[in-house]
Amino acid sequence: MFLINCPYCGERDQSEFSNGGEAHVKRPENPDSISDKEWAEYVFVRSNPKGIFYERWVHSHGCRKWFNAVRNTSTDEILKIYKLDEKPPSLDEFKHTLQTPSGEPELGSGNFTVKK
Amino acid sequence: MSAINNTKSFHLISSQKISFTFDGKKYTGFKGDTVASALLRNNIKLIGRSFKYHRPRGIYTCGIEEPNALIQILSEHSEPNTRATVKRIYEGMVIVSQNRWPSLKMDIGSINNLLSPIFSAGFYYKTFMGPKGFWKKVYEPIIRRTAGLGKPPKDFRSKSVHHYHNVDIVIVGGGLNGLIAAKKLINTDYDVLLIEQDSFLGGVLNNSKKIKDIDGQENVEWLKNTEDLIRKSKNIKILKDTLVTTYNFKDHLIAIEDKAVESAPTSYKSELALHKIRTKHTILANGHIERFISFRNNDLPGVMLASSFEKYIHRYGVVPDSNPIIFTNNSSTFSLLKSLVDLGCKPLAYIDYRNNSSIEKNILDFLKNNNIQTYTSSEIEGCDGTNILKEVSIRDDKKNIIKIKTSMLCVSGGINPDVHLFTQSKGLIKWDSKYLTFKPDKPFQNTITLGSASGNFNYQSLNEEVNDKLSFLKGAKEIKIKLNLNTADDLNIREIWETKHEKETLWSKSFIDLQNDVTTKDLSQAVSEGFDRIEHLKRFTTNSMGTDQGKISSINSLGIVSKILNKNISDVGTTIYRPPYSPLSFSAIAGRNTYEFYDPKRKTAIHSWHIKNNAVFEDVGQWKRPWYFKLNQSETMHQAVQRESRQLRETAGILDGSTLGKIEVKGKDALEFMNLMYTNAFTKMKPMTSRYVLMLGEDGMVKDDGIVSKINDQHFIATTTTGGAPKVLGDMEEYAQTEWPHLKVYMNSITEQFSTFNISGPKSRAIMRKVFSEVDFSNEKFPFMTFNTFNYLDTKVRIMRASFTGELGYEIYVPPKYALELWEKIFRNGKNLGLIPYGTETMHLLRAEKGYVVVGQDTDGTVTPVDLNLNWMIGKKKKDFIGKRSLSRSDTSKKNRKQLVGIIPIDKNKNIEEGQHIVEIKSLPSNIKEPIEYLGHITSSYHSPALKHCIAMALVKGGNQLMGKKIFVSKSNSSETVESEIVNPVFLDPNNRRLLS
Amino acid sequence: MKKKYSIFNIIKNTLSKNENWQKMWRSPEPKKSYEVIIVGGGGHGLGTAYYLAKEHGIKNIAVIEKGWLGSGNTGRNTTIIRSNYLWNESAFLYDHSLKIWENLSSELNYNVMFSQRGVMNLAHNEHDIKEMRRRISANRLNGLDSRWIDTNEIKKLVPIMNTDNLRYPVLGAAFQPRGGVARHDAVAWGFAMRADEMGVDIIQNCEVKKIKTENGKVLGVETSKGFINSEKVGVVASGHTSVLAATAGIRLPLQSRPLQALVSEPIKPVINTVVMSNAVHAYVSQSDKGELVIGAGTDGYNSFTQRGGYDVIEETVRAIVELYPIFGKMKMLRQWGGIVDICPDASPIISKCDVKGLYFNCGWGTGGFKATPGSANVFAHTIANDKPHKINAAFSLDRFVTGRLVDEHGAAAVAH
Repeated sequence: MFLINCPYCGERDQSEFSNGGEAHVKRPENPDSISDKEWAEYVFVRSNPKGIFYERWVHSHGCRKWFNAVRNTSTDEILKIYKLDEKPPSLDEFKHTLQTPSGEPELGSGNFTVKK
Repeated sequence: MSAINNTKSFHLISSQKISFTFDGKKYTGFKGDTVASALLRNNIKLIGRSFKYHRPRGIYTCGIEEPNALIQILSEHSEPNTRATVKRIYEGMVIVSQNRWPSLKMDIGSINNLLSPIFSAGFYYKTFMGPKGFWKKVYEPIIRRTAGLGKPPKDFRSKSVHHYHNVDIVIVGGGLNGLIAAKKLINTDYDVLLIEQDSFLGGVLNNSKKIKDIDGQENVEWLKNTEDLIRKSKNIKILKDTLVTTYNFKDHLIAIEDKAVESAPTSYKSELALHKIRTKHTILANGHIERFISFRNNDLPGVMLASSFEKYIHRYGVVPDSNPIIFTNNSSTFSLLKSLVDLGCKPLAYIDYRNNSSIEKNILDFLKNNNIQTYTSSEIEGCDGTNILKEVSIRDDKKNIIKIKTSMLCVSGGINPDVHLFTQSKGLIKWDSKYLTFKPDKPFQNTITLGSASGNFNYQSLNEEVNDKLSFLKGAKEIKIKLNLNTADDLNIREIWETKHEKETLWSKSFIDLQNDVTTKDLSQAVSEGFDRIEHLKRFTTNSMGTDQGKISSINSLGIVSKILNKNISDVGTTIYRPPYSPLSFSAIAGRNTYEFYDPKRKTAIHSWHIKNNAVFEDVGQWKRPWYFKLNQSETMHQAVQRESRQLRETAGILDGSTLGKIEVKGKDALEFMNLMYTNAFTKMKPMTSRYVLMLGEDGMVKDDGIVSKINDQHFIATTTTGGAPKVLGDMEEYAQTEWPHLKVYMNSITEQFSTFNISGPKSRAIMRKVFSEVDFSNEKFPFMTFNTFNYLDTKVRIMRASFTGELGYEIYVPPKYALELWEKIFRNGKNLGLIPYGTETMHLLRAEKGYVVVGQDTDGTVTPVDLNLNWMIGKKKKDFIGKRSLSRSDTSKKNRKQLVGIIPIDKNKNIEEGQHIVEIKSLPSNIKEPIEYLGHITSSYHSPALKHCIAMALVKGGNQLMGKKIFVSKSNSSETVESEIVNPVFLDPNNRRLLS
Repeated sequence: MKKKYSIFNIIKNTLSKNENWQKMWRSPEPKKSYEVIIVGGGGHGLGTAYYLAKEHGIKNIAVIEKGWLGSGNTGRNTTIIRSNYLWNESAFLYDHSLKIWENLSSELNYNVMFSQRGVMNLAHNEHDIKEMRRRISANRLNGLDSRWIDTNEIKKLVPIMNTDNLRYPVLGAAFQPRGGVARHDAVAWGFAMRADEMGVDIIQNCEVKKIKTENGKVLGVETSKGFINSEKVGVVASGHTSVLAATAGIRLPLQSRPLQALVSEPIKPVINTVVMSNAVHAYVSQSDKGELVIGAGTDGYNSFTQRGGYDVIEETVRAIVELYPIFGKMKMLRQWGGIVDICPDASPIISKCDVKGLYFNCGWGTGGFKATPGSANVFAHTIANDKPHKINAAFSLDRFVTGRLVDEHGAAAVAH
């Protein structure tokens, strides 16, 4: 249960929010003009990175407002929160938090206890 | 040699006697005693039997780390596996020992000890494999019965509560370090919570004589003064009898408070409180845990950790044995030596694994001056005795075995910082080769460790450590504490994990996990079988998987394994420490969020009327909905539903539809938004009319239905299914905010703002006329699927002409405040016209006669509107709506998908069951081995009072092409089938004469 | 089989002080190249290697595991085994597995302690009843031992259950007597031992960092122990599968979520059946050791931390306390999390993909343990023949394009 800083209400327990999956996935403007495969990609496929993830949250037990967040899924640390109409921060801003190619950080993933 | 009281202990001053029962025998202890300290006072050392071999076990420690002394408390709903070393006694407490039969001294299960040589590591994996069926019927039941420790508890209804804290700093541990830290924070701007597991602050100051005096004051006096100072401060709160068990992400702690310490359970007080704490900084000053050493029979009652022995003397005022033997590999037992000698209890012998030259001079001098038999460079080879320690074997520096008779042996194998919480927080620990232990290294969260919890065992440097590590806190003053010590300057330790058996027999055992009966031999065997990863070893041998999670032994097992593998301990690593730190009561976790508060019961404004009129309710989500109304006690559900249905079609019925979701959609672009959300086309829809609507998922499957009423292009009201209401609103918000932010549209739930009544039946118009005399209900003025708002008393009601029964019907939306009054008014007016209340089951029957679908019953998330023959509801000219694109994929557009059809039995006396499947064979094998193909399944089935036979709806592969086909419907309890016919699902009034009348 | 286990063999070893046990598997260094590489040393992966060697004659195989064998979801689940799924495709797959379970101990000569004590799914409302009756009817036609039991029978099987005095009363249950639980680690160890005997290299502490491809074909894997060549790579890495797939440019319809479980302190036998309740989210069985093994829910966000929210634990425990009044006096001993990979239709993917020689076995979500041997068996077939077994044909990746999902969410929505 981490904390999420709702841009409209302030910092609240994560259990007050619902996650909306990957952010910045645009619904196709003309669904009829794309192939079945492209449509399936939109409906069913989302990125699932271990590490930096641009995602959506909604303060469902609060103001009901949607917003975006950048979170490190290998530690659950929230690195940035921004409103829907704000420009997404550049990935370079968070690159330093990635530890290994597969995203396994030394600290915070829960997979190691002893310092090497 | 027996136990004596230490009358100098603060614990025994002015304390009263308490009597309790253990295994049927009455004993006396002092108020504040734990079960263990009271039993030790009574010279009881045999407390229970071990998990696997049923070996006799006693009291090994004086706290939360206890692996052996687990008891069952009969006077508390038979609570099992309670630590005797933590649980305090009270008058009349009844406890029994565990895992023995018929008695503790004579336990049949101890035959396992005789067989123990074959119960080597992995025993169960390698045997009991045949003959077939024996595992389930023979082996497993026996294994399960002998395992399991305590007996199941009794029914219990907890009164535990939850408390919430939002603070700046939590100090875990009210011992010396915690108190110095708290003192530093007095009257700063930080909100501080100081949490102590004992009923007293002080830790080491109460538990030992390691510290002679502090700031020139007696320990007790300093503690009192310091506690007073803290209590008077404006910013620090103290929680005692509270144990932090869990350290979650973002400095979220769970702590459990015993609200009933030293008292019997009552019917009115909460016994536990669970604290949920969110903090900005966590200071872990939770100390250390002593570890043991493995030697032959190191599990015998009478073997105890040295610092625990010392704690019993000072904290509980009982010297468990007046002349014990001490075995150590480090300098920490010096204060125990001193404590014993102070009380005139001379240890029979002192065995130190360290060699003469590395033992501190003051310890050697002390031993010599007091004439205590001393063996250096020596070790305990093993212990002997039946049910209790009788004799120890010492292997001296010349490898000679010397036997000494004794009833207690105090052991210290070193000290581990208590890193459990630190690792739970995902901090990394590091091996300290000086102190031979893991200590905290890098924190992941805002964690600070202090004192022995941080691996600092030098008391004189504590003061500096606290000042240093807390210097970043604003307004915290420099603290100066002066300590006068009774200990060696620093912890000085020599590595030893186990001692060699002099004579190896099949039965000789050195334990590494006392509770789970894991021996050092099990470890080496597991390694030789290839389980050389510590997590594998844990799982293969069950090492450290007991209720104590190996608190006194897990580092020892790493030591032993590292020696076998010839690796560094830090390369062997540790297993992951799992929360909670100590077993956490289910009741406390649940708190008040269970029983009557498990989930809210949502009730409509008419609920009291329903109860008065013998409604039987069904749960629909959180709502309580009238399912049917009983005319009298003997009326069955079937009779009631048949009666309600028949009468509604003859006269009229009224349903409380308040639970249906209602969403108001407004805004400049509301029309465009609604066109995107629903399959239907709303553009040409006239204002003040309504429409039956469908909502799909992006996968093209039907997700919800309802009625949308258009007030104008900028204002709509949508109804949803009862269960679908939150999801539909959520989806609307999501699309409006994230996909189409350019649309000016706003929505809100108005479910609770309006009660809804559905009146239908041929007499409904007459009843409505009587109730709303000023409204013109004629077909011309008030046609089907139109609505309007009317004045009613000092409010407004909205009336819509709609129907889910196929009869003439109206829906009334009224503010809940007026609802019951209006409902009763309708009944007064409808009484002579035959108006009856009806429930959801009748509604379902009546709609089925008309072939209307219920989303969630006739659909299952795999059904498109086309499958339901609801093509007419799709706005084909619309460029887009949610799910539209999915309808043209190859599988969703194919011809022989499952389609909704009607089914009627050929023999009209036969009944068709819901959920049964449609097959093409007349009778099924009685024992089906090979899969039988089916065409589809029955989604709805009712006995139609109008048609006087069973009618059913089904989803059938290519069903639309199979009209008139004879098929067979399976039966749940027979291999017979019901011969039936596929028909159009509209069974009644296909031309809507009744509906439009 | 080189290592034969029996009571006689145990006694023999006892008499030689247990010093002559053989290693269950070797710890080889990876070779330069293999015929097949399996990424993921859990039960599914080790089983795949076992069946490739045993049934398809492929012996030159490496199983590459980042941690230690069974360190992922194999060692973290609540060990429930059943096959009473609604759709034919699922029922055939899971029952294929259940049938293998029934003989697995003797096949491997290693006791996986499959305990067929029965699994019941409780119904708490009319909607549950309708869904279960339909499922039971479908199960019966598929030859599965699934039946409806009323509250009297439930009380007989589980006397400690409170069926009527709770917020959502128990109205009946779907019961599968052949279902049960097994010892999860033993499955991985048993498969590993027998695969190793047939020559499979099991390489632990070796992390696959990249799946290397060229011109639509697999070349091998880049690992922490260097590049290993292979024309066939099977990825069975549960929560991490999509991370690995991404290194080969493949996007899978998977989301990785924390799933939590907990155990109580051990007590004498008190519940002899596996009881599952979806409506109040509480799964319970009692291990042979006496611990109550309790499954909690998934968190609603992607995470690879093997640590879920505390609120999820609380949600489950309050249901447990309400359903079983005696458990109010029980205590939670340990809680933990695993990372599960969830598919949009809650069914697995056992499939080829656009890259030749690259195969995926993933998307098992919260229920993969029960499928371990069956999934391994059909996945081995898929890899060996470069085409699916008829049992896993429906679980292909292209079902998301055609729309032919195997939607096991069933009628999730509560309506009317």
